[in-house]
Amino acid sequence: MKRITILSGKGGTGKTTLSSNLAILLSKNKKIIVADCDSDAPNLGLALGIQEKDFPSWKKVQTNEKAVFDKEKCNSCKKCLEVCNFGAIKWDNKKNKPVFNNFLCEGCGSCMLICPNKAINLIKVNNGKISFVKTKYNFSLVSGQLKIGSTGSGKVVGLIKEKAEKLAKKEKAEIILVDSAAGVGCPVIASIQGSDFIVAVTEPTPSALHDLKRALRTVEHFRIPYGIIINKYDLNKKFSKKIEKFMEKYNIPLLGKIPYNKKFVRALVNLTPIVVYDKEFEPLFKKIIEKINKEIKK
Amino acid sequence: MKIAITGGKGGTGKSTVATALAVELSKKNKVLLLDADVDCPNDHIILNIKRKKIKEVYQPIPKFDFNKCKKCGRCAEVCREHAIVFIKDKYPILIPEQCIGCSACMIACPNNAIDKDKKKIGTIYSGNRKNLNLLSAETEIGVEEESPVVNALKDHIKNKEEYDFILIDTSPGTHCNVISALQGCELAFCVTEPTPLGAHDLKLTLDLLKKLKVPAKIILNRADIGNKNLIKELAKEYKIEIIAEIPYSKKILKLYSKGKPIENENIKKTAEKINKFKKK
Repeated sequence: MKRITILSGKGGTGKTTLSSNLAILLSKNKKIIVADCDSDAPNLGLALGIQEKDFPSWKKVQTNEKAVFDKEKCNSCKKCLEVCNFGAIKWDNKKNKPVFNNFLCEGCGSCMLICPNKAINLIKVNNGKISFVKTKYNFSLVSGQLKIGSTGSGKVVGLIKEKAEKLAKKEKAEIILVDSAAGVGCPVIASIQGSDFIVAVTEPTPSALHDLKRALRTVEHFRIPYGIIINKYDLNKKFSKKIEKFMEKYNIPLLGKIPYNKKFVRALVNLTPIVVYDKEFEPLFKKIIEKINKEIKK
Repeated sequence: MKIAITGGKGGTGKSTVATALAVELSKKNKVLLLDADVDCPNDHIILNIKRKKIKEVYQPIPKFDFNKCKKCGRCAEVCREHAIVFIKDKYPILIPEQCIGCSACMIACPNNAIDKDKKKIGTIYSGNRKNLNLLSAETEIGVEEESPVVNALKDHIKNKEEYDFILIDTSPGTHCNVISALQGCELAFCVTEPTPLGAHDLKLTLDLLKKLKVPAKIILNRADIGNKNLIKELAKEYKIEIIAEIPYSKKILKLYSKGKPIENENIKKTAEKINKFKKK
């Protein structure tokens, strides 16, 4: 089984659009499982016409802990305040007691360990939910959602991938396709870990190229082979050439170039991937799949 | 006044709007733009600013003193990030990528065998374009714990009172580094697009801002392609004003793809509205 992850660095370059279209075409010939690992802002379901309520059952997950404080036991020594490296503890001078900021607490337990009066404990918190659904296309989609205001998106991503692995084993899938979050931070690192191949999507803008390079350095950190797709390449053909030159220089395979077309937005608004919305686009994405297959076999 | 530019979905135009507003506002005000998209900071590229490195950001990591270590395994037991591997009768091993710098192992070690070392997690840069000041931060590749970099960036602002406006451009999404960027802001502009995906992520951002008690306003970008009602309904539901609608324009795209800030009537009008928020 192969694990393919879609990545971009910069947001809005077309990860989800690409994932939804590749998923539909891949699933015509192969058994696949698709995982939406953008647990901050999961959109792949929507792009496929699936809403949150269409998932049969959301399972709450607890990957994080938070400090809770018993003011009766506290002797106001301020040791917790000194030890917190995340700025999650402030001092209330009036009451002479600590105040805990749940949004910033990482649940590391340092304050609990240092408190001489055992006035601080850690409790598990619901910080997300995951679910999966059989789509009307020929594959299952696993999705997750970080609870608003919670930390630990990387760990939620880890659970989404675990679920995808289990389903893949059960359904004897040949491919797990992962759509990752924007950026290069913890949810992205969690998404690409263990991948066999990375498809990086970019667009011909200086910002996107800058972010792409950062994303690729992250991929290289994990020594995973990758290729690049230039989306909306015709918005600035000169810059697209610049990206292609950069790729040639470093021997990075070009997996495809996708033109800008307002039909992509229309398809999105209609919650239908463009290969279904307008068959005219099928050959373009089929070619991309051929290229990916070739690279994976190397 | 501290104003965040955020929005949930990536690529809706946060940086485009943040840089354009910063340029426009700085014509009459003292403005600081803070690029808190520490994953992928782009504001300096759009503004064509050569940034100067001004500070490195570090987090603590443990350093074992094997002369003192009694191989008890307590450090690995308290580490909630599983950054310390302990096998019985062996010395503990640190996986530095997993360490978030909490110091729990140092506190828990009964033999005082763990010293504080440090790991570089980011860099803070500064630059300016006419009278607009930019502070920007970038994480090191492979760093998971990004909030400390955002916090260091925010702490780095000197003479806060000097500025009429501090604009904070955040990462996409709703995770920890976005939360760190939003905390303490007096207002947040949520930049979105009229697609189901834009609406979905905008809703998440509005929920987050509600929790953080930061008042929000919506800036609808590429307002004329897609379905505007998706955003209008959401604005109505949350009782939030759509402060500006920026139509799709090839000119904006061209400027953006060349790495230039946009200047147009919509941005000017929005800047005028923001000027009225200014504290007297």
